[in-house]
Amino acid sequence: MMSIDRRKATLFGAAAAVRLLLFTSFPGLPDLLTARVEISTPVTSFKRLQEGLFLYNHNVSPYDGGVYHQAPLLLPLFSLLPSSATYPAFTYLLYVLLDLLSASALMSIAESGEAVSSKLFTSPRKDKRWSSFAIAAAFLFNPFTIATCIGRPTSVFTTCAILHAIAKAVNGNSFTAMFALSFAAYLSMYPILLFPPLALLCYDRRKPLKNPESMYSFVTGNAIAVGGSLYSLLHMSSLITGSWEFLSSTYGVQLLLPDLTPNVGLWWYFFIEMFDSFRNFFLGVFWIHLSAYVAGLTIRLRRQPLFVLTLLLGIFAIFKPYPSISDTSLFLAMLPLYRHVFPLMRYTFLASSTVLYATLLGPAFYYLWIYAGSGNANFFYAITLVWSLGLSLLTSDALFAVLRDELEVERPDLKGKEIRQI
Amino acid sequence: MRQLYSLLLLFSFLSFSFASSDYHEQLLLRPLHPSLLLASFNFQSNTTLTSFEQQNFRYFPRSLGQILQHANTRELHLRFSLGRWDAESWGARPWGGAREGGTGVELWAWVEADTDEEADGRWLTLTNALSGLFCASLNFIDSTRTTRPVMSFQPSGDHKNSTLESLHLLHGTLPREVVCTENLTPFLKLLPCKGKAGISSLLDGHKLFDASWQSMSIDVRPICPAGSNDCQLQITQTIDMVLDIQRSKRPRDNPIPRPVPNEELKCDTSKPYHSHDTCYPLDTAAQEEEWTLSQIFGHPLKGSCPLATDGVDPVCINVPHARQVYSSEGSHEHKDASGFMRCYQLDPEKEFELVLPQQEISEKAPLEQPLLYAERSFIGYGQERGGVQAILTNPSPTEAVDFVYMESLPWFMKLYLHTLKAKINGLDTHKDVIQEMYYRPALDRKRGTQLEVRILIPANSTVILTYDFEKAILRYTEYPPDANRGFDVAPAVITIGNVSIRTTSLLLPLPTPDFSMPYNVIILTSTVMALSFGFVFNLLVRRFVAVDEADQWDVRSVRLKVAELVKGKLKRFQKAQKVEKKE
Repeated sequence: MMSIDRRKATLFGAAAAVRLLLFTSFPGLPDLLTARVEISTPVTSFKRLQEGLFLYNHNVSPYDGGVYHQAPLLLPLFSLLPSSATYPAFTYLLYVLLDLLSASALMSIAESGEAVSSKLFTSPRKDKRWSSFAIAAAFLFNPFTIATCIGRPTSVFTTCAILHAIAKAVNGNSFTAMFALSFAAYLSMYPILLFPPLALLCYDRRKPLKNPESMYSFVTGNAIAVGGSLYSLLHMSSLITGSWEFLSSTYGVQLLLPDLTPNVGLWWYFFIEMFDSFRNFFLGVFWIHLSAYVAGLTIRLRRQPLFVLTLLLGIFAIFKPYPSISDTSLFLAMLPLYRHVFPLMRYTFLASSTVLYATLLGPAFYYLWIYAGSGNANFFYAITLVWSLGLSLLTSDALFAVLRDELEVERPDLKGKEIRQI
Repeated sequence: MRQLYSLLLLFSFLSFSFASSDYHEQLLLRPLHPSLLLASFNFQSNTTLTSFEQQNFRYFPRSLGQILQHANTRELHLRFSLGRWDAESWGARPWGGAREGGTGVELWAWVEADTDEEADGRWLTLTNALSGLFCASLNFIDSTRTTRPVMSFQPSGDHKNSTLESLHLLHGTLPREVVCTENLTPFLKLLPCKGKAGISSLLDGHKLFDASWQSMSIDVRPICPAGSNDCQLQITQTIDMVLDIQRSKRPRDNPIPRPVPNEELKCDTSKPYHSHDTCYPLDTAAQEEEWTLSQIFGHPLKGSCPLATDGVDPVCINVPHARQVYSSEGSHEHKDASGFMRCYQLDPEKEFELVLPQQEISEKAPLEQPLLYAERSFIGYGQERGGVQAILTNPSPTEAVDFVYMESLPWFMKLYLHTLKAKINGLDTHKDVIQEMYYRPALDRKRGTQLEVRILIPANSTVILTYDFEKAILRYTEYPPDANRGFDVAPAVITIGNVSIRTTSLLLPLPTPDFSMPYNVIILTSTVMALSFGFVFNLLVRRFVAVDEADQWDVRSVRLKVAELVKGKLKRFQKAQKVEKKE
C-alpha cells in the first residue's frame, strides 16, 4: 500500500514538475499555446477569459459583447486569484492541480475494474488490463494533455468535472456524480448528453439495498438531481451577473455557432460555406447527429455503460461545435481502460498514423493559410477532415473490439475465428 | 497665433452678422508649403425657426429642410472627405478640424425621440433620405455602423432645456465610401446660387476630387441669441481642399505629366559639376510659385452671388502683404492689419481673376501649430490577430492637452480591452494618462465596438496607445465582392474641446474562405459524418456470426445462386407451357 502511494506521489510530482518547468523555462510558451486554434476555442479560450474578467471587474457586463462565451461562475473564481498578468504562478498552479485531480479521478476509475468487469458483463480478457498507475501516467504525459494545460483553456475544468462524475458513479456515489455532471454541463453544455449512460452506471454500481428501487425511479431521481443542481448553478450565475442574458451568450453560442473561428472540428468551415437559408436546418441536423449516438450506444451496450461514456467522449471530440485537442485528450485518457480489447482492434496502425499525420500537418497548414498566405482555407479544412476521420476510425474500431469481446462471452466457440456481420 | 485670431475675428464677424442677412459666402485661399494651396469655401444661410416650421423656406434648402422635419432631427452634421491632412507640414486644420470628417462619409445628428427605439427608427429614416438626396450609400449605416457617443460630441447649437433631454445623439461612418462628383452636384444644388455665380462657380468635380485632401461638410444647427426668443436655424456648408498648384496648372486636355524639356530645366549653375548634360535642380523653396485663379480652378470666378448682400468680402487670400497679387478690374482690395490677409470686394457683373506672379520672397504667412499630432496604424502580422497603435503627440512646450479619443470599430475586429496600454514617452504609466473610459463591446452581426478614452497628455510628450484584437472569420456571404482587399476601419475621432481631429482610416485584411467551393465543403463534411455514423451504427444494429454461417457472396457462390435462380424460373416456365399444351 505504501509503495503504491509513493509511486503515485512520484508520478504526480513528475507530472507537476514537467508542467511547471514548461511554464517557467519558456515564458512565451503559455501565451503561444493560448493563441493556438487547436487548443483554445471561442468558448474555452484563456485570453477571452481574461477579457471577460477585465470587463467583469470594471462593471461592464461581459455577456453584452461578442468575446466572452464562458460560464459566469468562472469569473468570481478567477477574480479571487491574483491577476494572471502580474502573478501568473497562481494560475499555473491551479491548472496543474486540475490536471492532477483529473488523473486521480482516472486512477479511481481504473482501480474499480469497471472497464473489464461490470455488473452485467465480465470480459474473458479481464487479466490483461493496465494498472491504474500506467493509465494515469498515459493521461498525465500525453502531449495533448500537457499542451492543453499550458494553453490554459477552461475546458480543463470540464474534463476534471466529467472524470470526477465518472469516478463517483463507479464508486456508487450517485448524487455526487450527478452534481459533477451538472457542473460539467453548466460549464460546456454538451456533457448533459452523458446523463443516460452515467445514470445507468450509477444504477449498476449503487450500494446493494434491502428493497432495491426500480431502474426507472432511480433514473428519474437522478434526473431530478441533475435538474436541481443545474438550476441552482444557473440561478447563482444570474445572481452574480445580475441578469439571465448570459444564457444566450454561453449556451446560445454553442447552439447557433455565430463565431466561426477555425478549430479542429467540422462545424466552422461547413457553416462559413453554408447558404444562409439552410443554416438553421443544418445546425439542427448537426445537433441531432451529435445526440443520435447517445441512445443507440446506451441501448446496445447496456452491459458496459462505462464504455458508452468513453465512446461518447470520443464522438464529442469529433462532432461537437467547438472541439479542441483537450477533448481528444479526455478520450485518449479513457481509452487505455480498455487495454484488454486492444488486440481485437483492426485498424490501430491506420487510425493512429492518421491522427499523428493530422497532428503534425495541422499547424503547418494553418501557418500556410494564415501567415504565409501560400495556402488557402482549404488546406486547414482538409487536415481537420483527416483528423476527424482518424478519430472516428479509432472510436468505431474500439466499438468493434468491445462488441467482439462481448460476442466471445455469448459464443465461446467463435474465439479467434473470422466473423462477419449480417 | 495672430492668424488664428484674425480668422476667428472674421468668423465671429460672420456669425454676428447673420441677423441682418440671410446668406453669405466666402472663399479663403491659403498657400501651404510646398507648392500647395488650401481653398476653404464657406456658405452660410439661415431662417427663423417659425418660418421653418411653417415650411416657409427662403435661403434654407427645402429638400434638406423637409427631411429634417420628417426625421425630427434638431441638429445635423454630414461630412464627405478624401485624403489625408499632413499636419506636420501643413499645420493646423482649417476651422480647427470642426468642419471635417473621417475618410469616406461621416454623419452625426441629434434626433428628438422619447425612446431609443424611436430614435433608431428616425435615424433610419434620416440616413435613407439623405442617401437619396446626396447619392451616397448612407443607407448602409446600419446598427453595426451606428454608435451613440457619450463623451465625444457635444451639440454646437442652442437647444432648449426641455428638448435637450429627449435628444439622442447618433453617429455613423462609412469609411469605404468613395466621395465623387455625384455627391458634389446635390451639394451645390443646396446653395442659393447653385454654383452659377459667386464663389461656388469655381467648384468643379474635376478639380475638387483631384485634390490632395478635400472635405465637404453640411452643418445644420439652431441658434438662439442670448435673451431673445427669436431662434434661427443655421445651415453652414463648407468645402476645403488642398490643391497641388503644379498639378492643377496642367492643361486639362493633356494631363499626363511629362519630363520637362532640357531647355526649360532650372539648374543650379553654382555646382562645380554643372554642364550641358548635368543638372542639379535649383532650390526653389524661397521662390513663390506663379499661379492664377483660373489656372487652379479651371475658370475664373463668375461675379459675386447677388443673394449675398451683407457686405462681407467674398474672396480673401492669406499671404504676406509683400507678396504681389493682381486682381481684375472692378474689384476692391482690403488689406488686413495683421499683415497676412487681404480680401476682395467683387463686381457682381464681371468675372474676377487673381494673378500671383513668380516672386522671390522669404516672408511666409505663419502656419498655426496644431494642438495634437495623431496617427494610427496596425501592428502585428498574419490574418489571425493584430494590434492597433495610436501615436498621439502634444507639441506644446508648456500646456497639457486633454482630449477624448473615440474608436468605433466593426464587430469582426474583436477588441481585447484588457490589453489596452498607454505608454508615455516610452514608459508605462497607465493610470495618469487614461483618465476616464467608456466601452461598449461589439455584438456579433448586431453592433460594433465603441471605445471612448479621455486622455491627458502633459506638455511636450508623446503617448502611444496600443491594444490587441482578433480577426473574426465571416460567413462567405458576408464578404464584399473584393474580399481580399480588406475591410475599411473608420478613423478614430479625437475631440479637444470644440476642435476635432481624425486619424486616417485603416484597411483590415481578414482571413477568407475559398469562395468557390460551398458545394464541395458540404459534400466532403457530410461524407465524413456519414462515414462515422455508418461505422458506428453498422456495428450497433447488425449481428455477428462466424464466416461459415453467413451467406457466401464470393464469385463462385454468387454464380451458383444465380444459376439456381435461373433454373427455378425455367422450370416454372416449362411447367406453364406444358399446362397450356394440355389445354
